Amino acid sequence: MHVRREVIHIHLPRRSTSKCDMVGMVIERDSVGEEGDDVVTPGEFLGEATEFIAGKGAYVSPNGRSVRACLTGRRKVTAAPPGSHDNRSTIEIVGHKAHGAVPQPGSIVIARVTKVMARNASADIMCVDSKAVKEKFSGIIRQQDVRATEIDKVDMYQSFRPGDIVRALVLSLGDARAYYLSTAKNELGVVSAQSISGGTMVPISWTEMQCPLTGQIEQRKVAKVD
Amino acid sequence: MDVDTRNMTPTNLIDKIVVPGDVVLDLTKMENQTIKLGSGLRQDCDCISVLQAGKLRLSKPNKYWVESSQKRYVPSLEDTVLGIVVEHRSDNFLVDIKAPNLAFLPVLAFEGGTRRNIPKFETGTLIYARVVKANGIMNPELSCTDASGKAAEFGQLKNGYMFETSTGLARMLLSSPTCPVLEALGKKISFETAVGFNGRVWVNASSPDDVILVSNAIMRSEFLSGTQQRIMAEKLLQRLEKV
Repeated sequence: MHVRREVIHIHLPRRSTSKCDMVGMVIERDSVGEEGDDVVTPGEFLGEATEFIAGKGAYVSPNGRSVRACLTGRRKVTAAPPGSHDNRSTIEIVGHKAHGAVPQPGSIVIARVTKVMARNASADIMCVDSKAVKEKFSGIIRQQDVRATEIDKVDMYQSFRPGDIVRALVLSLGDARAYYLSTAKNELGVVSAQSISGGTMVPISWTEMQCPLTGQIEQRKVAKVD
Repeated sequence: MDVDTRNMTPTNLIDKIVVPGDVVLDLTKMENQTIKLGSGLRQDCDCISVLQAGKLRLSKPNKYWVESSQKRYVPSLEDTVLGIVVEHRSDNFLVDIKAPNLAFLPVLAFEGGTRRNIPKFETGTLIYARVVKANGIMNPELSCTDASGKAAEFGQLKNGYMFETSTGLARMLLSSPTCPVLEALGKKISFETAVGFNGRVWVNASSPDDVILVSNAIMRSEFLSGTQQRIMAEKLLQRLEKV
């Protein structure tokens, strides 16, 4: 069992005239062999930077001396390829849970409209490129991104209602609160909606959907689904 | 649905009190007719059923609705309402109109309104306005102009006294011919009122005694018939003369 000692230096801000402004802390760490079966967590020490290269899922700590994990998973050490001038092994983190999809600009998402306001509509993103997301992402469809023509005459209430399922395109990462989505294409827009009477509506044109129970026609920005 | 209580003829329940769940029209019995449904009614596949308790009304030839009275107001298009300013945002005022959501009053929705002469309404200002956008989902939108853009009595109501009533009493006060209590009071006192469909009434008169008398008379007249309202108003007016 190899015990490594590590000294962490913490710098205190220089406020008084005290001469000593550095405090050292010693942490003892256990590194259990090179092939770990144990699960490592973000921040955990993996090896010295002099002996290992940080691979996928690992990073070199700010003081440049240790390699630490930044994902949850199992550590895996790969020997250096022969012939390279750097003969340090690479440490990677593998087997971590495949993280759910994350919306990227340009991806097609399926979202459920939560709120319709005068100039935009909020939606909860449920799937990204036909893969379900593991955590909630918020999106906003602005009035000018609802359709391609006559964007200043868009009535949000006649385009979306709360509860509608829409197919949208991610325009950008947006602001801190929500991604910016767009439905300004023929194949984007409301895919499925319920009428006031509760029936699932059938699209009849790119602006109208009809309820099968009552025959009422409601306005939506309908997606052209082939 | 119980077949026995279903009403076969459409006119059976007109002007009667109905409660939620009552079936008022059976569409299979009426062919080739267009029926317009107002508030409080809902189409349930083949029959029309009631959503709100109230009196069923028919306006010839084919418009049905339920008239109900409650303290809460549900915004509907082209209603004139009395609102209280809650907040001033950059492009609209937030106004409380006793609805589930605050209403937006755009700062430019006044006669001759431009960015330079935005009215300075403080929190608590009483406004008489008209509903221009009302669907159940978004915040309702108001305007202080009529359809042609003129001010037409809309705007801030200064002085006077405002009290809250139910929506049914507000509609009675706004009905034509003039409500009996207002007519009886108007014979002896000169006053002005503004009644909002949202159950708010504003009264202004030259002296506080008159304001109090008119307000009390209106508040008491909700469940009285025409004759009873006149008698009640006259009794109150006699009290004023005695002093």
